[in-house]
Amino acid sequence: MSPSPAGETPLVLVEDLEVHFPVRKGLFGRTTDVVRAVDGVSFTLGRGRTLALVGESGSGKSTTGYAVMGMERPTGGRVAIDGIDRATMTDAQAREATRRMQIVFQDPASALNPRMRVGDCIAEPLRIHGIGTRASRADRVAELLELVGLSPGAATRLPRDFSGGQRQRVVIARALALEPEVIVCDEAVSALDVSIQSQILNLLLALQERLGLAYLFISHDLSVVRHIADDIAVMQHGRIVEAGPVDTVFAAPSSPYTRALIDAVPRLERATRVG
Amino acid sequence: MSEAIEPVLEVADLRVRIGETDVVDGIDLAIAPGETLALVGESGCGKSLTALALIGLLPEAARRVGGEIRLSGERIDTMSERAMNRIRGGRIGMIFQEPVASLDPLMTVGGQIAEALALAGPVSPREARERAVAMLDHVGITKPELRVDQYPFELSGGMCQRVMIAMAMIRRPSLLVADEPTTALDVTIQAQILRLMADLRAETGAAVLLITHDMGVVAETAERIAVMYAGRVVETGRVADVFAAPRHPYTALLMRTIPRLVGARKVALPAIAGSVPDVAGWPRGCRFAPRCPLATDRCRAEAPPLDPVGAPGQRAACWHTDRVPEIAA
Repeated sequence: MSPSPAGETPLVLVEDLEVHFPVRKGLFGRTTDVVRAVDGVSFTLGRGRTLALVGESGSGKSTTGYAVMGMERPTGGRVAIDGIDRATMTDAQAREATRRMQIVFQDPASALNPRMRVGDCIAEPLRIHGIGTRASRADRVAELLELVGLSPGAATRLPRDFSGGQRQRVVIARALALEPEVIVCDEAVSALDVSIQSQILNLLLALQERLGLAYLFISHDLSVVRHIADDIAVMQHGRIVEAGPVDTVFAAPSSPYTRALIDAVPRLERATRVG
Repeated sequence: MSEAIEPVLEVADLRVRIGETDVVDGIDLAIAPGETLALVGESGCGKSLTALALIGLLPEAARRVGGEIRLSGERIDTMSERAMNRIRGGRIGMIFQEPVASLDPLMTVGGQIAEALALAGPVSPREARERAVAMLDHVGITKPELRVDQYPFELSGGMCQRVMIAMAMIRRPSLLVADEPTTALDVTIQAQILRLMADLRAETGAAVLLITHDMGVVAETAERIAVMYAGRVVETGRVADVFAAPRHPYTALLMRTIPRLVGARKVALPAIAGSVPDVAGWPRGCRFAPRCPLATDRCRAEAPPLDPVGAPGQRAACWHTDRVPEIAA
């Protein structure tokens, strides 16, 4: 899907991914059924690219993202990071994969420890990975705050001192601390007000340009996806029903489901027809 | 809105106070029969508190400290709690964002609709059930005679919102207050619910106050819009006029900053600098001034009135409405 030169290993490879959840019922917790949350999904994500996974609730898009992150164990298929299969990674390789991939969730308030100063929160991944000294970590925090458009003075304040948009900047700064190559954005701008949403989208675009980041952008919002992504994969019932470059898919969707999704988006342009 | 028709809802100088601050700071609204007015704005602008004040359901920390509210000409802001109880669910229907949370989890769908009916006076269980089934059918729920005996957890979010609409509309209210009715729903379900609301409005002639943050939803469902910012209406008018030629800088910038299904991709969106000010830090003068590219000393000192400008019925609260087209491009 992402155009990668022949022979180049994709940063993220997902092949026939399955994540099935058992449904247990009754006194002895017998497995009576399975929910096929992800049911045979394949895609690649190249360096510096943005692939959007879109779909409605229950489509499996978030579960796919979690499996890519290693937060959800696949029941079938495989996820490979830079050519190394997640299932056969050594501990050291798994740690390295964790460093290279970060995730940003929808709700910045719950992603931050309310009692931890913003600077400590951003430095935490560095501390956990044993990177740098206290002093060098403080320098890195200042650098990261600046990168996401916050003042270095923010480091000593608590999350409650910040607005929702600023908190999402803090979350992004923390995600950038370990210099990842991939950020999984799970509805990362969905809870933000429109004027703040565009600021964060601009930030994500600028960071990609500057740092060469790849995004796996999970979203239900087709207008946002069209704006930020290079490629799109439309999911329904755990499967990809359509995939391709954003321009192509939006101009001429081949799947009736994609067509229905695009048609259902309320449009500003239709205001002229009202009244 | 034509002057000759008496508005269903008329609100003058509504004020809601939390602590020392008027978080709803003098709002005027009017909605004609069969008309949808969209009240839009970002979180904390006061749009939901405005709606709750209208129906007398403000949270404990907030109190109405001024304003007159008329329903078909009759003052309702001075009514007793008992009288308001009769109006809610009767002449005023309400639907909220979280349909599943808004329904009683321990009561069947039919039971809840029957309860809404019973507020108007005694109905036999058999009649209540029949009318509930008919109403469920009317709001597009398949197998209504089966669904009527089910509990909310057995229904999808979209179906629960249809049940909420059935409850809100069964007594044919003259005013429907809908607070982010489709925000929690998937986009294809949202389109269905908006269509259902439009059909019911056309059928009953109800006036609709639609609270939303989604300008796309406004474009597709409302005739008129009132844009709120930090407790005040900053612009109002016909949706087509306001969207085609906004005259308040906030509206103009909002319209430009929203990603669309047309136009350039992967480029920086024209962003609005800064963030919505905290209630405690609302500036004097125009509250949008700190974020406004057109702001002058006058804006920072003196709050502009919501004056007529542009198309008929359009008003904007800005000292520099003549310069707004420059930033609306």
